[in-house]
Amino acid sequence: MRTVYRVLAYAVAIEVVVQAMAVVWAMAGLGKWIDDGGVADKALFESEDNPFPEVAGFMIHGVNGMMIIPLIALVLLVVSFFARVPGGVKWAGLVLLLVVVQATLGLAGHAVPGIGGLHGLNALLLFATALHTARRSSLGTAPAAATAPRAAELSGQA
Amino acid sequence: MSRRLLVACAAAALILGPLAWFWQASLLPGTQSAMAMGYPDYGGGPGGMADHRMLHGSDPEQASSVPDLVADPDRPADVSVTLTARWGQLTLPSGRTVKGYSLNGTTPGPVIHATEGQLIQVRLVNESVPDGVTLHWHGVDVPNAADGVAGVTQDAVGIGESYTYRFVAEQVGTFWYHSHQISHQQVRRGLLGALVIQPRKSGTTASGDVDTVALVHQYTGRRTVNGYEDDVRVAVQPARRARVRVINTENGELAAWVTGAPFRVLALDGSDLTGPTPVRDTAVLVTAGGRADLEVTMPADGSPVRVQLGGGPDVVLESTSYAAPATSRPSAVLDLLRYGSPAPLGFDPDAPDRRFRYDIGRRPGFLNGKPGMWWSINGHLFPDVPMFVVAEGDVVRMRISNHSGDAHPMHLHGHHAVVLARNGLPASGSPWWVDSLNVRNGETYDVAFLADNPGIWMDHCHNLPHATAGLVAHLMYQGVRTPFELGDTADNEPE
Repeated sequence: MRTVYRVLAYAVAIEVVVQAMAVVWAMAGLGKWIDDGGVADKALFESEDNPFPEVAGFMIHGVNGMMIIPLIALVLLVVSFFARVPGGVKWAGLVLLLVVVQATLGLAGHAVPGIGGLHGLNALLLFATALHTARRSSLGTAPAAATAPRAAELSGQA
Repeated sequence: MSRRLLVACAAAALILGPLAWFWQASLLPGTQSAMAMGYPDYGGGPGGMADHRMLHGSDPEQASSVPDLVADPDRPADVSVTLTARWGQLTLPSGRTVKGYSLNGTTPGPVIHATEGQLIQVRLVNESVPDGVTLHWHGVDVPNAADGVAGVTQDAVGIGESYTYRFVAEQVGTFWYHSHQISHQQVRRGLLGALVIQPRKSGTTASGDVDTVALVHQYTGRRTVNGYEDDVRVAVQPARRARVRVINTENGELAAWVTGAPFRVLALDGSDLTGPTPVRDTAVLVTAGGRADLEVTMPADGSPVRVQLGGGPDVVLESTSYAAPATSRPSAVLDLLRYGSPAPLGFDPDAPDRRFRYDIGRRPGFLNGKPGMWWSINGHLFPDVPMFVVAEGDVVRMRISNHSGDAHPMHLHGHHAVVLARNGLPASGSPWWVDSLNVRNGETYDVAFLADNPGIWMDHCHNLPHATAGLVAHLMYQGVRTPFELGDTADNEPE
């Protein structure tokens, strides 16, 4: 269970990386397509066609962000109930909260672009939190318990 | 079991339990009648138990059935066309080969021409479309049996089968036809065409005037006009007039503007405007599914005029060089709420029999088992959407409000609605009759229409992928029932 918890937390962090890469790839593709003479309008963006291959990046970003990442974060929370990591539920809950905030900011950013800027900031917060959640998942395991008596031994000697 | 484990299981159940319940509750049945999809909304008008019985067709003497709502069956057709639908490799007018749907071998399908008052008869034959096919006459207020909505007004036409559509051309203007079976895919891949109805007497047309269709559609990511990827050249002599019928078959708004001459907007969505004045350096935004008829009077010096359509290709009017320069889209947009001059509506929208709200939002939930952020109508997710109940003769007012984060081109079948106000600002120009209205995020439109066409009519977002995500409702006339069902043996799937 602890391993599952760690893997899921790392998965969230990796997914944030995927999200960032997908959306910049799509934007770069759009820029290049315009440089090559393309014209983008609403009709084009709603067409579900691929006028240039990088447009798939927008779709990946949307599906990943609204369905897959929330699902991973939710499973992480449920797993945290069983993983017996000290403070594990709290940190998994924080990850889920940041994911929900992230999705909300992403959708609201379409109407108020400034909020989109916050979506970029929150991505970094989420990345850091997910990484920290993964790395602290080894707390309360045997090696840590082994060092405690040793530390006591050392302090006993002091 | 340790106490800790028990608490963990309880917490997990607390989260997963409700989610599983919502997931289960959202699963759509294989077969469903439009008459029982969602909840009835009576709009403050008469309704209740008695009508509930009629709604579900258990009062057969009173109820009429959709297949009976047809044009005069004894009247011979004036315009008779057979359209054969095929699926496979085909060549666009531009020369590009694509895999798609054709009608009589081409996409777009043939332009159907008729004169006001004629009876149009179209026999649709499905030669090779594996999922079944129908034809919907977008913008034409046809009798309900000819509306072409699979699972509501007919069963989808399977391979080897046919269906005949008959309707009288009462409206004069520009329309289009397209499949309404798996429409998001079939329209995208080419099952569409234009329909032009001319007035009986062409009093204002002079010889030398030109009339052309500009049907904009994207195939595999490439924008075309009438199937061409290059500019469409139309020969028009100096000082003569050209009527360009712009048809937006896409899922989003299209900007149209004219470079090289002023222009007038003669009609929108197949309805003439009163008192349209010339404008220049202004863009007209054509709603997805909507049409705009632009009139250009050619310059006397013989210089070319470019009717620009989004990012092109464009329609170039001239007769010698066709070397018409292009400009980028003007920032000024024609405000259709104030264009033209007022005229009587023909009914009083301030004395409505029904008042409906169509609030479009977005919220998390399950749609047929899939989790995500889905479009909501009055707070409800598909299929628990309102069924707007009306009686024949009702004056209906509808307030369409959008706070969903994205624009939605709203399309009502079988009727034309007049725009009364946008965000509280009353209409002050020509009566703006629409069948396809683009409602932006944060906008509210007040519209009104006369319930003068009995049947069951879809009222949905014409961004077809949005329609597949549940942004569909329908108008239901009291006393009308349909024997057709979504799903069923014909695999009816209108979106």
